[in-house]
Amino acid sequence: MLSRLVLRAAPAALRALPPPVAVGVLHTTRTLHTTQQSLAPVPPLPEKGGEVRHGLIPEEFFQFLYPKTGVTGPYMLGTGLLLYLLSKEIYVVNHETAAAACILTVIVYAIKKFGPDVAAFADKLNEEKMATALAMKNEAVQSLQTAIEDEKKEQWRAEGRSYLFDAKRNNVAMLLEANYRERLLMVYNEVKKRLDYQVAMQTLKRQKEQDHMIQWVERNVVQSITPQQQKESIAKCILDLKALSKSAHAAV
Amino acid sequence: MAGRRAALKAVDWAAFAERVPPNQRAMFNALKTRNDALTARLAALPEKPPAIDWAFYKANVAKAGMVDEFQKKFSALKVPEPVDTQTAKIDAQEKETAESTAEYIQASKARIAQYEQELQKLKSMIPFEQMTYEDLSEAFPETKLNKEKYPYWPHKSIADL
Repeated sequence: MLSRLVLRAAPAALRALPPPVAVGVLHTTRTLHTTQQSLAPVPPLPEKGGEVRHGLIPEEFFQFLYPKTGVTGPYMLGTGLLLYLLSKEIYVVNHETAAAACILTVIVYAIKKFGPDVAAFADKLNEEKMATALAMKNEAVQSLQTAIEDEKKEQWRAEGRSYLFDAKRNNVAMLLEANYRERLLMVYNEVKKRLDYQVAMQTLKRQKEQDHMIQWVERNVVQSITPQQQKESIAKCILDLKALSKSAHAAV
Repeated sequence: MAGRRAALKAVDWAAFAERVPPNQRAMFNALKTRNDALTARLAALPEKPPAIDWAFYKANVAKAGMVDEFQKKFSALKVPEPVDTQTAKIDAQEKETAESTAEYIQASKARIAQYEQELQKLKSMIPFEQMTYEDLSEAFPETKLNKEKYPYWPHKSIADL
């Protein structure tokens, strides 16, 4: 009788539950599609699912029952339900039950033991994928930035072309100037060479004339010395020498 | 005499050298050496040749009238200035390069705009941890699986795996 009451009360209670709890998975209450404008950008999905106790029952259920029944409420409800199902044979214990018990024990034990390791391994795989994707993205960003830098640098370089043309024009101007000066210098040198040639010719001629004249005079003088004159001059020389020697002796 | 000389514009070789890209270094060096050679040659030549001492020659050269003749012809002589054929070409070149540089800078700016756009897209992307495969296909269209062409998994040619 009491059981029928509970069975009848359950659907009514369920209907009375507020909608957010019925959604179940999300940890926070979130009204979806209630307004015209949906939340954009959509906030990221949560990393972990809603909290559960004993792997089965969501935490919200315990929170829901806490005001009325305190901490032990849900457990009492669970125990009562279980005993009711067993005693009234709504759930019949048969060989399947034993099999289920063993299998579930093993499964729970395995998960408890190896769960974290497997999770870590799976996380590592995911991490690697993320890392490669991130690395590629960073590389792309880097290369784009360097490309922009290089383009700007090339633009700056191209602006320096005025230097090139100034240098070229300078070259041309210098060449012309040098050429002009060389021509002037050449004219000067040629004229000077010719004048100097004239002067040099003249001095040479004069010198030759002088030399010739001197030689001619000498030759004639030597020729004109006759043998008679030669004897006279030698005798005179001897007399002079004697006189000189006498005076020299006297001086000494 | 002063009209012939186009004033030599001072070229800042250091700044010029900075702007030369590495693949044109050799040409720049050749230009510089030529410039230096010309400068040296110009510096070695005197601006005016020394004056000829006519009085001395008049006194010493015996031939009558020769010195006078020379002097007359010398002062009457006009040395022709070398004709400048290249500056016009250089100016034409400069105009050409101005145009082509302007074009290049335009293209370069377009490229920069494109790069900036892509950079913006990459920077404003949501982090990979929060992406779904759909979001990934949106951000990087090349990863989108072609389900029309390859309706069966893995939705791409086996060679691309």
